[in-house]
Amino acid sequence: MASPSASPRPILSFVLAALLAGVVAEPAAAVLRVVASTPDVADITRQIGGDRVSVVTIAEGTQDPHKVPVKPSFVTKLNRADALVVQGLSLEHAFVPALLEAARNPRIMPGAPGYIDASLYVTPLEVPSSQSRVQGELHPLGNPHYNLDPEQGLLMARAIAEGLERVDPQGADAYRAGQARFAALLKGKIAEWQTLAAPLRGLKVVSYHEDLVYLAKRYGLELVGTIEVKPGIPATPGHLEELLGTMQREQVKVIVREVSYDPGLARTLAERTGARLAQISVMAGGLGEPGYVASIEANLRALVAAATGEVAS
Amino acid sequence: MGFPKWRGSPRAALWIGAAIMLADPVARAADSEVERLQKELDQTQEQLSKAREDLSTTQDSLGELRQRVDAMEAAAPELAPEPTPAATARIAPVNADNPAISFVVDTEFAQDAKDSWESIGYPNGSKFSLQNAELFISAPIDPFLRGYASINGSSDEGFDVEEAALVTTALPWNLTVKGGRFFADVGRLPHWHDESLPFVDRPPSIDRLIGGESGAEGAELSWLMPIDYYVELTGGIYNTVGSENLSDLNDNGFFGRRDFGELTFLARPHTYLDLTDTWNVELGGTWYGVPQNRTRNLWGLDVTLRHQPGTSGLYQGLVIGTEWYWNDQRFTERDDATGAVVDRFREDRQGGYGYLEAFFARSFSAGARFDYSEAPEGPEDLARTASAFVTWKPSEFQRLRFQFDNSWGDEPTNQRYTLQWTAFIGSHSHGFAQR
Repeated sequence: MASPSASPRPILSFVLAALLAGVVAEPAAAVLRVVASTPDVADITRQIGGDRVSVVTIAEGTQDPHKVPVKPSFVTKLNRADALVVQGLSLEHAFVPALLEAARNPRIMPGAPGYIDASLYVTPLEVPSSQSRVQGELHPLGNPHYNLDPEQGLLMARAIAEGLERVDPQGADAYRAGQARFAALLKGKIAEWQTLAAPLRGLKVVSYHEDLVYLAKRYGLELVGTIEVKPGIPATPGHLEELLGTMQREQVKVIVREVSYDPGLARTLAERTGARLAQISVMAGGLGEPGYVASIEANLRALVAAATGEVAS
Repeated sequence: MGFPKWRGSPRAALWIGAAIMLADPVARAADSEVERLQKELDQTQEQLSKAREDLSTTQDSLGELRQRVDAMEAAAPELAPEPTPAATARIAPVNADNPAISFVVDTEFAQDAKDSWESIGYPNGSKFSLQNAELFISAPIDPFLRGYASINGSSDEGFDVEEAALVTTALPWNLTVKGGRFFADVGRLPHWHDESLPFVDRPPSIDRLIGGESGAEGAELSWLMPIDYYVELTGGIYNTVGSENLSDLNDNGFFGRRDFGELTFLARPHTYLDLTDTWNVELGGTWYGVPQNRTRNLWGLDVTLRHQPGTSGLYQGLVIGTEWYWNDQRFTERDDATGAVVDRFREDRQGGYGYLEAFFARSFSAGARFDYSEAPEGPEDLARTASAFVTWKPSEFQRLRFQFDNSWGDEPTNQRYTLQWTAFIGSHSHGFAQR
């Protein structure tokens, strides 16, 4: 007669129990797979979601958001994503629709719960009254560069937190707490920036692209013109001559060069007019500063430095 | 003035003693009054202290309330101004249900040095031509399906429905089914529309071996593997592949009935790898064939290497692409009058191209291409073509391209100069497949 210890039953039972435990057990920390279209919404999503989210970003801060390459490696990320966070207002028209077409993930298609539009509570500016391309590459829902105004960051956070809660209701408390934390941080910085940006009030500037409208409204910048003829239409010699005349007449002191655009024309204009160059980024990380809050601060410091003639710190 | 001097008189002492005795009850009464007042003062101070505490609590509550109001204000959307009622009802625009519509105008002027390029599909001499006028429409049909169509016309080929296809959008297991008339998933450039090509023409090797773009009528099933790397597998079944072949088939009395083995079957694996942050490569293989009597077997390989640094300087990136095809095909020669089979023979032919295109300053690109092509049937008719091209995009929706081609091989050397002018009306995009 075999001894009880030689019986395979206890061992089998243990293995079976272990396997069942492995199958049934919940992971220690549920992670929501999120793909973010831009570094700005990626950072805000991370700050709100904390450990509950794992975020992959498509665009890089130094890129032109209107020309982000469509890489198939993002298709696989989108295919398995629980949520897609976009800045919205058709900013990502060059890459998100094409990637979504190939991603085969109905959960994150526009209109589905996993499609989180950070612009949901933003009141768009420059909504075109007509869609004629005589006006350049217009965004039909309005200017999408609202992220440069930090007050809009609070609204982005709200839309993102609600979106995450929609996809992962169990994490609602965590997302609300994350949103409150982010809002507190951002509000504190907004109060500081109000003082920092005081020299920008009434400052006349020229930018490369029409992307400063929200920032200008917040801090009182006066937008005199753009190096591009129209949105998406590169400069022509005639337009530059006209812009040069306008800058001299209006005594424009600062030219804003977004890092995603060629610095050559901005430098030439600066040399011809004596205006100072301010280098900013329309997406977080473009100036090497990680995160949304740091990027806003870097942009404001660059503008203030150019406005006051100091070296940007 | 002052107190009376003390002189030591006994009368005075008596007076003082009497005064003290008389004053004692008065003093006692005064003490009790002080005590009472002290008590009242203590009570008042206590009440004041309590009032201060209450005030502090109230202030704290107010502070908390203020924070909550601030938070609510921050979270609340900025309300848009109330619209002024302009009508008595909200009426949807008449085009609310229309699909996305776009139109491409692709026109060119070409000049040949010699009249010798007919064998590889080029008309001779000098010519203005409408290379491509394409009406493209697309829209979701329901939550499970989308549809698109491309109606195309040109100087040489007239108008035709180039594509009219239905594509599933919500199948499980990463599957997608496409059906109708569409460009079969062959290689890279064979399924690109003319206006999306990086050159003024489709590479001659593709034109000859595939038969123009990979137009087909049939069905395709594709599967995106659920892994970290991009791997897509496509299988297809069609009447035939190649727009010219499809046109011949339809023109020559094909009424939809043939043996199952005479249909064309396709298999294509396709993958993509990020080599670094800025370099990536796409690899694909294609096989399609007609199994009955091993009528046709075409094998292809496509490789695309890209440098996409995302810089804002003069240099903006690079694409190096190549495709090569081997075609083993069985041909049947029939008597024109009787239709009787005169001869059966097999041809084993190949061809392909390689190109490089560099992008500069957002609006410009320049590149070079080499193409090697053999005729799929009959004499080999070898043609080699070396090309150089420059593209300028004044905007996203307009493009001017100049291309110089030098061709040599079994026919005399020839040079061709082509100026192409392409513009896009509406929101034109063929999506992921032609990125």
